[in-house]
Amino acid sequence: MIRARGVRKSFGSAAVLDGIDLDVHGSEVVSILGSSGSGKSTLIRCMNGLEKLDAGSITIDDFDVSLPKDLAEARKRSATVFQLFNLYPHMTALQNVTLAPIQVLKRSRAEAEATARSLLDSVGLGARADAYPAQLSGGQRQRVGICRALAMNPRYLLLDEITSALDPEMTAEVLSILAQLAKTGTTMVFVTHEIEFARTISSRIVFLDKGQLVVDLPTEEFFAAEGGMARPRISQFLSKMRKD
Amino acid sequence: MRYTSFTSYDVVLLAQGLGVSLALFLTTTVIGLLLGTIWAVIRFYRVPVLSPLIAVLAELLKNSPVLVQLFLVFFGLPALLKINVTPVEAALITLSGNTAAFIYVIAVSAIESIGRDQIESARVFGLSRWQVLRHIIAPQAMAFAIGPLTGLLVNQLQVTSLISVIGVVDLTKIGNILNLRTLKPFIVWTIVGALYYATAKLVAFGGATLEKRLRAHSAWKGL
Ligand SMILES: Nc1ncnc2c1ncn2[C@@H]1O[C@H](COP(=O)(O)OP(=O)(O)O)[C@@H](O)[C@H]1O
Ligand SMILES: [Mg+2]
Repeated sequence: MIRARGVRKSFGSAAVLDGIDLDVHGSEVVSILGSSGSGKSTLIRCMNGLEKLDAGSITIDDFDVSLPKDLAEARKRSATVFQLFNLYPHMTALQNVTLAPIQVLKRSRAEAEATARSLLDSVGLGARADAYPAQLSGGQRQRVGICRALAMNPRYLLLDEITSALDPEMTAEVLSILAQLAKTGTTMVFVTHEIEFARTISSRIVFLDKGQLVVDLPTEEFFAAEGGMARPRISQFLSKMRKD
Repeated sequence: MRYTSFTSYDVVLLAQGLGVSLALFLTTTVIGLLLGTIWAVIRFYRVPVLSPLIAVLAELLKNSPVLVQLFLVFFGLPALLKINVTPVEAALITLSGNTAAFIYVIAVSAIESIGRDQIESARVFGLSRWQVLRHIIAPQAMAFAIGPLTGLLVNQLQVTSLISVIGVVDLTKIGNILNLRTLKPFIVWTIVGALYYATAKLVAFGGATLEKRLRAHSAWKGL
């Protein structure tokens, strides 16, 4: 499981994460909602070791991301999909997907390529395996990004607004893949503005406001009139999101 | 036959001079490439102490005349350290250092041209610093740097002619010798110039070919 305890992070004098406690258990899909600037990306970047915590701890299956010797193992168990894809532009889709399995997991090239091809196939990119990122549409790039993460066979997927750079059609392509993954029991931490979609796939919803986790509820309760919606801050946020 | 006429042996002399120039050029290019790249990597990882030291050294090397650097190494070092420095050694040291300084500048900007986001994603996927350098940074930096690098090397080839003043018998020195004997400066210096020209074109051609190959796989660059 992923366990965050008392996580604090500031940039300069601004406290971006202000004491976050969060547990994500196996097979859960936890969606993180919150307005822009509330600290969602920073929380994900703390989980995958891209930002150092100022205080508190994050462990992934008991591996502490703040300890250099644990971080490698924590990173093997979790994989990130990025908002702006962050693909390697000089490598084909296939090479993007096989790089880490070959270099980090020490898979043979043949084995890594076979896995990568079947992953690319499963997201409808079998024919584009040899294309470079610049030759792909945004939706296709993000599907490569998802395959790159899945190729590590991770226990946890960290997804940071992975559709916010995509148009509605491409967003639908990518979300349908996530829906399938959720069905197969992949554990996900899902930062998103796609409220309705989050509602359909999440087991829990947490709401981040100014660096604090103000709500952490099972999905149904979160959307119930007497649950999360009873809080002005959340109903405000949701009605604003639905309008956009 | 008059003492001032050209002989067939002059061709051998010219070839020898060209050989010396080329050997020095190639050796100092290889050393300069190694040093300059290592310096750039040290800077990329912000290695304490070394990193600012290298920045200062590169600044000094870039902003002072090569001829002065050559005199400093050839006359200054022996006086200071009570050691013997041959002309060829002085030429090797000076040209390598000078080339390294300019390659450092090119390599630094090539590395900086690579998006931080890709490096971050490679790290998140568990690649070590070395693996990131090898698989993400190096291939892209090379494709970026090859153009400016070719321009630099064409220039550094011409700079090698300076070493003739401390007595290295390179192509320019041979030109000098032939000029004094034949008293036909126009012909001698035209031939010497043409040889430098042809060599420079060869370097440029090699660079362009390599550039094509490095970017062959990069339809991504065009978009
Ligand atoms: N590297 C950084 N340096 C300075 N400020 C940052 C940095 N990263 C994020 N911030 C600030 O932290 C706050 C939260 O950012 P972020 O975690 O990206 O929010 P969200 O993803 O919820 O939109 C913002 O005010 C942002 O400007
Ligand atoms: Mg964000």
